[in-house]
Amino acid sequence: MSFWIFLWKAVFIVGVGLFAVMALWVSIGGAKDVKKMLAKMEIDAKDEEAE
Amino acid sequence: MDSAAVSQALSQTNFTALDWGIVSVYLLISVVIGLKVKKYATSMSSYVTAGRSLGTCLGIATMTGTELGLITVMYSAQKGFTGGFAAFHIATVAGVVTFVIGFTGFIVYRLREMEVLTIPEFYERRFGRKTRIVGGVMLAFGGILNMGLFLKVGSMFIVGITGMPQHGPALPAVMITLLSLVLIYTVLGGMLSVVLTDYIQFVVLSFGLLLTSAIAILKLGWSNIFETVEKVMGQPGFDPTVEGAGFGVEYMVWMALMGLVSCAIWPTAVARALAAESPETVKKQYMWSSLSFLIRFLIPYFWGICALVYFKTQAPDLNELFLGEGEKLNNLYAMPVFLGRILPAGLIGVISAAMIAAFMSTHDSYLLCWSSVITQDIVAPLMGDKMTAKGRIKLTRVLIVVIGIYILYWGLVYEGSEDIWDYMAVTGAVYFTGAVALLVGGLYWKGASSTGAMLALIAGCSAVLGLTPVQRCLRDFIPGSVSSMEVTEIGKAHIVVKGGNFKPDDLVGGKLHIVSGDDWQEVEIVSNAPNRIGLKPWGSKFTPKEGDLFSYYKGVPGTRIGLLTVAFTMIIFVVGSLAVPDRFPPVSSELDAPRHGKGVGAESVAETSEAEEEGSDA
Repeated sequence: MSFWIFLWKAVFIVGVGLFAVMALWVSIGGAKDVKKMLAKMEIDAKDEEAE
Repeated sequence: MDSAAVSQALSQTNFTALDWGIVSVYLLISVVIGLKVKKYATSMSSYVTAGRSLGTCLGIATMTGTELGLITVMYSAQKGFTGGFAAFHIATVAGVVTFVIGFTGFIVYRLREMEVLTIPEFYERRFGRKTRIVGGVMLAFGGILNMGLFLKVGSMFIVGITGMPQHGPALPAVMITLLSLVLIYTVLGGMLSVVLTDYIQFVVLSFGLLLTSAIAILKLGWSNIFETVEKVMGQPGFDPTVEGAGFGVEYMVWMALMGLVSCAIWPTAVARALAAESPETVKKQYMWSSLSFLIRFLIPYFWGICALVYFKTQAPDLNELFLGEGEKLNNLYAMPVFLGRILPAGLIGVISAAMIAAFMSTHDSYLLCWSSVITQDIVAPLMGDKMTAKGRIKLTRVLIVVIGIYILYWGLVYEGSEDIWDYMAVTGAVYFTGAVALLVGGLYWKGASSTGAMLALIAGCSAVLGLTPVQRCLRDFIPGSVSSMEVTEIGKAHIVVKGGNFKPDDLVGGKLHIVSGDDWQEVEIVSNAPNRIGLKPWGSKFTPKEGDLFSYYKGVPGTRIGLLTVAFTMIIFVVGSLAVPDRFPPVSSELDAPRHGKGVGAESVAETSEAEEEGSDA
């Protein structure tokens, strides 16, 4: 049973640690993506209006 | 159960007026976003795939936002509460499988390359229009049935964490309020508002998950959590392969398949791949999202485990309600009640807002997904593609509202309890058993034919045999069942059967089905001797009497039926394809090439020529 306890402790610590790093990166990068996406949608909407 | 004691125990939450304020502000922001981005939803492509302009980070955020729903948090916490750390294997498998999909690009890369809008659209490109329509029907049927309990279970979280009374009008009122808000911003903004709210949810929820886990560890003690689970559950609390853990190897194989399905086959996840900037982005998105697919199960399991430890060590009143003798509270409430006790005021509002965000972002994506499938893959092809872009968006919006009304109705009338995960797996299997065969075969096997595809889609329906009500109806046909037993003695928790000759404890785990006039109930069997069957207490519906009809059956696990259905569907697909090959199979270059012009999307979805139609639907 000690193997399983060790395994699940390791999975939890590594998984949560990596997720914390990713959450930070995605939060910052995602904000930039939102800006880019809205700009593109704005252009697309204008193009469609012009057509 | 003493209702005063229940109310007293459940009302001890730290949820205050400040927390209500935080939740209200969050909900307001979501609706405002829907109103603000409405102006961009001018074409079906921008409405359904946000103009295919998702960058990697936004793709990860929205995929996490969709797949980390409150329903997932609730049933996973329930699994952790009942299964302990052994449930962690499900999270691990889900993370590993998603990473492998991202690394190899299996299925998703090729789908994105083809620039299809929906999975049934791929069916049409590969197998012909009839397959698309039938595939769309299966997808919508399985998918809408699958989300039938989302609203109710999500609302149970709000009721549990805020300390509202479980019975009475509170639950329906929460359901109606949440549904109304989701409908408003999904109908207005389509995928764009879905993506933006998913992003906000990702930020709030990610940090909420981490902070809550840290508080739970500080409150209970890291070592104490493991020691208590060891003391209460023993080895089955850690080892998923051991008897008594409630899992086993068969279950683990099923979970690996579910891992593949949830990231590469399930349309709401695939929709994110199809909305990505490029096929390369899809691969990166999946590799990073594997962490989210791990975490979306891992942390809720951990919260469920912490609830168990908290009840056992620090809350004897809750221990009695959830784990005591006699009638127990629905353990879906365990995690929200636990959070309501340990989180401080203010933070509990943020976590609740994050959970409501999780609830809403799953609902909006699912509503959009199923309604656009009905519009794009069933109605538009049936109308010979005469529908305009505006007509399609209008119909999709109407369908979103119709499906919303259905889930409200289903949540109110369906008495789902501990079988929610099984219910979801089985209803999902109606769609995904056929989809696995069609996607894998269609993308990687030249010999796949439209006949094989059609047969596989139909064969997938056999997954409904895994549903408890279906098995109940067919109980007399299940091997080993006994019908119309003659009973000589009825006790509080046992019956004596005339002339019974059962092997000792052979019936344990099965159900005793009792019919009394027009009423019926089922009671779980806990022990048996040759002619005596030990039972859990009779339900509150009625106490059986002499002359009532009894029958016994042991249901086939949904896991086994699911695996058998997948194997059966695959075999049908291969045999059908080999027996009736297509006369004019599609040329691979036609499949690879994008069908639509940039940003046009579905307006020209079904430009399939008559020749192609004849060829594929041989």
